[in-house]
Amino acid sequence: MRSVFYMLDVAPYGSEKAYGLLNAAAVSIKMDVIVGLYADGVYLALAGQDSRALGVPNLSDTIYAYPEMRVIAHEPSLAKRGLFSQSLIERVELVDDERFIEEAVASDSVIVL
Amino acid sequence: MATLTIILTDGPYISECAEMAVKIAKAALVHHKVNIFLYLDAVHIPKGSQNPVHFVNIGRLFEELASNGATIRACPRCAAARGYQAADGVCQEYLPGIEITSLYDLAEMLKESDKVIALSK
Repeated sequence: MRSVFYMLDVAPYGSEKAYGLLNAAAVSIKMDVIVGLYADGVYLALAGQDSRALGVPNLSDTIYAYPEMRVIAHEPSLAKRGLFSQSLIERVELVDDERFIEEAVASDSVIVL
Repeated sequence: MATLTIILTDGPYISECAEMAVKIAKAALVHHKVNIFLYLDAVHIPKGSQNPVHFVNIGRLFEELASNGATIRACPRCAAARGYQAADGVCQEYLPGIEITSLYDLAEMLKESDKVIALSK
């Protein structure tokens, strides 16, 4: 297996899922890794996250720390949540339905935690 | 021989994921190599002192899988967060054959796999 698509479809804070997914993606960077943000997962694309009051790591730091990971966000999910005009992490790529599916299908495996 | 890796994130009884993984792994082991990586709450699955009254003991089923050749590893960060400590991979509270190793083992399992199944509710 040479490529992995990790899909996050839940909000980044409030459960361990996003943290676990990003850690798994980070250790997989010897392969081609894409983190796909879908549904509530797109909240991870927002710039200026500050999780100090929650007492958990700032997950956007992981995105900045691993440029080897491609991060794509499903644009319709952002639009449906009224986030389209918000500032996003610079290196998150916005993709439409078709492109999101294409990226997932092109990967050797799709992992949803 | 093809390799299948199964990733689990749920605890043993909160969903049917662990039981499904056992059935898939059992069938796959006949002709294939099987890896199972226990992540997040799934690190509870191999706990030795489980005593479910109304359910099958999932831990014992995983012990059986390991004795039949499945490689079963658990994430150390997730395990430590839930009170499981290991020395050289061996955790006294775990059933035999299942080790707490490294998250990098997940990446290695994925690399060597032909198919990956992630089960999560």
